[in-house]
Amino acid sequence: MGNILFISDRLEKIQQYTNIFNRKPYNFTVVSDENVILETAELNSPDVIILDYKFNNIKKNIKNLKSIYNSTAFVLLTPSQGLEQDLTKYINAFITEDLSEDLVLSTINVNLRTKQSLEQLSATNKNLADSLYRLNVLYSTSSQFAGSLDKEKLVDYMIEGLDKSLSFDLTCTLAFCTDTEPVLILNSLYELSEELVSAIKLRTILNYKSLFENKTPPFEIDIEKLKVIKTVKYPANRFTFNLFQYDNMFAPISLGDNFFGCIEIFKETPFTSDDATCFQTIAQQVSLPLKSATLYQEIMETNLKLEKLERLKSEFISIVSHELRTPLTAIKNSLDILSSGRCGDLNEAGNKFLAMAQRNVQRLSGIINDLLDLSKIEAGKMDYHFTNMNIHSVIEYVKFALSGVAREKGLNLIAEETANLPEIYADSQRLEQVLTNLVSNAIKFTPEGKNIIIRSHIARAEQLKAPDCFKDDIKKLNGEYIVVCVEDEGIGIAEKDLLRAFDKFAQIENSLSRKIGGSGLGLPIAKQLLEAHNGTIWCDSELNKGSRFYFAIPVSKVPSKMEVSVN
Amino acid sequence: MKKILIVDDEQDIVESLKFVLESADYICYCAYNGEDGLKLAKEIIPDLIILDVMMPKINGYKISRLLKYDNKYKNIPIFMITARSQEGDKLIGEETGANEYITKPFDLSEVVQKVKQYLEE
Repeated sequence: MGNILFISDRLEKIQQYTNIFNRKPYNFTVVSDENVILETAELNSPDVIILDYKFNNIKKNIKNLKSIYNSTAFVLLTPSQGLEQDLTKYINAFITEDLSEDLVLSTINVNLRTKQSLEQLSATNKNLADSLYRLNVLYSTSSQFAGSLDKEKLVDYMIEGLDKSLSFDLTCTLAFCTDTEPVLILNSLYELSEELVSAIKLRTILNYKSLFENKTPPFEIDIEKLKVIKTVKYPANRFTFNLFQYDNMFAPISLGDNFFGCIEIFKETPFTSDDATCFQTIAQQVSLPLKSATLYQEIMETNLKLEKLERLKSEFISIVSHELRTPLTAIKNSLDILSSGRCGDLNEAGNKFLAMAQRNVQRLSGIINDLLDLSKIEAGKMDYHFTNMNIHSVIEYVKFALSGVAREKGLNLIAEETANLPEIYADSQRLEQVLTNLVSNAIKFTPEGKNIIIRSHIARAEQLKAPDCFKDDIKKLNGEYIVVCVEDEGIGIAEKDLLRAFDKFAQIENSLSRKIGGSGLGLPIAKQLLEAHNGTIWCDSELNKGSRFYFAIPVSKVPSKMEVSVN
Repeated sequence: MKKILIVDDEQDIVESLKFVLESADYICYCAYNGEDGLKLAKEIIPDLIILDVMMPKINGYKISRLLKYDNKYKNIPIFMITARSQEGDKLIGEETGANEYITKPFDLSEVVQKVKQYLEE
């Protein structure tokens, strides 16, 4: 039941108490010599110390003992009457000299039980504190897991979490996820000799193979080539082969069919069942983020590949277009020389075919330019020269440039402009390109004798009206916009085809555009150019009645004198 | 009569330029690679040079830079021919010293007009 230390030099008392306590469940020790009290106490590690008040220097001895055995119960054997008052503060209980044997026994028993209850309480407290600490570690480790998609970091967090919660001597993590090759990560308290590392390598590989008893392991490991990453906390000390006699735990790091590695952990003192739970939990917890990280990595790699393909495509178009330009130039030059009459006159049919060749060279060079523009925009290499400018100049320019073509076709090109529109911050050349494209399309698709009208006005984003298929584009706008509209009385576009008009190469499939000409890239280019201006483009149309193409450019907020070039 | 040197590895382009420039009463010298072009430029000291950018060995940029840093030749106007439309800014802006740039496919009559501007001032 408990250890009792009896301190007295009175023979009769020693005799009396030995009679009472020298039996089970007590472990009774007597000290009579003042000089050996501490040594004897150390051997006995007393739960209760009984002191005789007659003993030498009793006060001093009590104080000394109390300073070491703080939680031990001190019982003082006192005279029947009269007690030195200031001793009471060190003493848990008193036994008077004339107390009966039964009462002595019960007093000591009460004190022993109290002492044991206190010990249990403090042990429970310590367990609770340990569990709380461990929970905190698990919590912070799992938050770290949740916050990372970097596999190397995840493995580091796992080891860090294990160190904090289990304070291991060595962890051997075989990781299949942090490199292209499997890696053995050793986190050790003390330095490991090369022989020991070799032994650990072999042991880890055997452990690993044991996980796949009946199946082939997902990776073949060559012990010679296995890369080792070693971190040593106190390199001044060394582990010996004794290490393998330490307590150890082993767990795979896997989730379903995904295998990320395995981990073994060593500790000199034995692991408890709580330790095992904690170890399993952390090893399991890391698997899920590792899987996410693997998926993330796969997605990133696919993305990179796609980006590279996209860039290659753009570069390919760019190179091909440049290569096409040189022979095209030679053809164009030859045709120009022929038509200049310097090589003699051609007959009527000859002139007709020469004109046909020239027209098609023009068309081909238009297509090449469109392809180049688009590849440049998509590669992010288009240069823009933004300035504060008025839309009026753009409309004037396009009207001037295309009125001849319109007249030839018997069409009326009219510009109905609102006066005093505010400035926009834009690249005038690109806007001319957009409007030229819209007006050229209108000319192409409108029969003789009809009108094409260019309108412009100012509107707030919420006032803009567009067919449903453009709603998403319009929603992105906010603030004030200059809106330009090109209205024709042409063949129109069916509602289901409206969105397709802005798709790359959409018109190439369309037999009509093949008859009329064009690369089918004009509108997709216009869309991209306008998006670079934080604007947008849309259209509404009715089959056989005509179409209205609109584009909107934000009104510039700060009038600035500086000309800025933006890539 | 003013002398014009045309340097381009594309013989067909050289041919057509030569034809229109000779019709406009200029004397044309032709070279089909950068090395010959540079040699010929130093030999005949032309009144104007039309230079293709993309040529094997010594490209147009290099020839232009070599001539423009030489006091003897730095006043000869240089027209650069390029297949890349956006390269024009670079040609003039960077230290190649070119005076004009022509983007393929170009208009022969425009080239003749520009040449006249430089040679009849």
